Amino acid sequence: MNMFLHELKAYRKSAITWTSALVVLIILFLSLFPSISKEAEEFKKILEGFPEAIRIALGLSVENIGSILGYYSYIFLYISLVGAIQAMNLGLSLISKELREKTADFLLTKPITRTQIMTYKLLSAVTSLVITNVFYLVTATIMASWVEPNEYSTKVFLLLSLTLFFLQLIFLALGIIVSVMLPKIKSVLSISLGTVFAFFIMGALVSTTGDQTLRYFTPFKYFDFAYIVQNSGYESSFMIAAIGFIAIAITASYYIYSKSDIHAV
Amino acid sequence: MNVIEINNLTKYYGKERGIIDVSLNVEEKEIFGFIGPNGAGKTTTLRTLLALIYPTSGSATIFGMDCIKYGTEIKKEIGYLPSEVFYYDKMKVIDLLKYSASFYKKDCSKRIKELTEIMDLDLHKRIDDLSFGNKKKVGIVQGLLHGPKLIILDEPTSGLDPLMQQKFFELLQEENKKGATILFSSHILGEVQRLCNRVAIIKEGKIIQLEKISALQENNYKKIKVQTTANLDQDYFNIEGVSNLEEKQNIISFLFRGNINSIMKKISDIEIANVWIEEPDLEEIFLHYYEKGV
Repeated sequence: MNMFLHELKAYRKSAITWTSALVVLIILFLSLFPSISKEAEEFKKILEGFPEAIRIALGLSVENIGSILGYYSYIFLYISLVGAIQAMNLGLSLISKELREKTADFLLTKPITRTQIMTYKLLSAVTSLVITNVFYLVTATIMASWVEPNEYSTKVFLLLSLTLFFLQLIFLALGIIVSVMLPKIKSVLSISLGTVFAFFIMGALVSTTGDQTLRYFTPFKYFDFAYIVQNSGYESSFMIAAIGFIAIAITASYYIYSKSDIHAV
Repeated sequence: MNVIEINNLTKYYGKERGIIDVSLNVEEKEIFGFIGPNGAGKTTTLRTLLALIYPTSGSATIFGMDCIKYGTEIKKEIGYLPSEVFYYDKMKVIDLLKYSASFYKKDCSKRIKELTEIMDLDLHKRIDDLSFGNKKKVGIVQGLLHGPKLIILDEPTSGLDPLMQQKFFELLQEENKKGATILFSSHILGEVQRLCNRVAIIKEGKIIQLEKISALQENNYKKIKVQTTANLDQDYFNIEGVSNLEEKQNIISFLFRGNINSIMKKISDIEIANVWIEEPDLEEIFLHYYEKGV
């Protein structure tokens, strides 16, 4: 418990920063919605001028841009990009931070197993992501009902918003497994930005091909927003893939971390 | 009873040597010194005992329990001070000590207070505002606050001023009297000589000598200096058992090992102005071991 609180405190600053970024971003995006929906027809015409491939890559579906859910699923791509960077950062620093700041000796000579250390760190990371998501969700819901006075499916809105959390869990797991395999990470941000953007761009390319199997290779395509809007649910095969990846990555991280040497400074 | 038993412990970092076939025992309530130059394998041995790194082969037990398998159990009773101390920079000293104490299921607040007073430590400063020596002090308090039965120290005195070193040694001796076993590594022989009952000398990953401090010093080595009245050929003393023979302004000095009577006879046969017969210090013996490459 002591360690859980200590860890939570350690991520406080970065959690506040990232949460504020997400909150500000969603406020900005959604406050643009009234003007876009008012001139939806004009907007559609401009968008139709774009080559189709680009529209698909950007996740723009012209017909829906005027509805709150259509608009939301479009801008959500950028929200999830920011969220993914946050989670990947967190995952990467979880274990490597102790080595980089040379505090691993302190922690590992205490009567605590490496499995416990990993568990506490993981729990505090997930907790901090939950807190981020709660703040985000509350802001997004309030903003959405404010900019869209008409009826819309709050269930779909919630389902869309929750993909942020799932995506973050995937990137958290990815960050952790990378950090235990490459313990000498010097700069967390460059690795997380690089990885997340690589997957993001891959996601955009995959959309243009429309290939279903390729979607498994980029977490950004695990949640097809159009599918969620239509079916009010997630695609189970991708849910299984996501859960499978997280489970394997976390289990492997536990194993590698408990077997690896902690080198002197 | 042995608190630490190390059996044929070997550690390779990939192909690089860490330690080879190290075996030694540390008895209860003993102060055991582990000496050797940098890179000899002192830290590797200590880190393996603490299960920070895993041995390539061989094993070690602490309190009769395997140090890897029962690491968590064992660490309840171990206090460790690494050679370079690093802590969460943004924490205050008191918060770090409290965090450290929170891992042990006992109340350590009284001991924290005592130790910080002895070590003259400002509890309300942030770790990153502390000097190297003061960080080391935090390390000492952190290592001792739970009253460990085994204290493991890796080059403990680097960065401490002589006065603090003195206080620290007193503290260690006090802990030792209370029943703590102490294992510490060093390349400063003076401090080993001052504190330890027994030493192990490690060179290039292997233990080359394991001895009681007293035996190491005895070992029949004498440091002899003779001031002669008349000019004397220094070869006069060049007999069996003499080494490091030197002459400087009528003073002939050498190390002697062997029957002390034979050298005394040699000395009594000549006119001398003065004579010094001393125990060689560990440093000289140590160099001897290293040069000879035992």
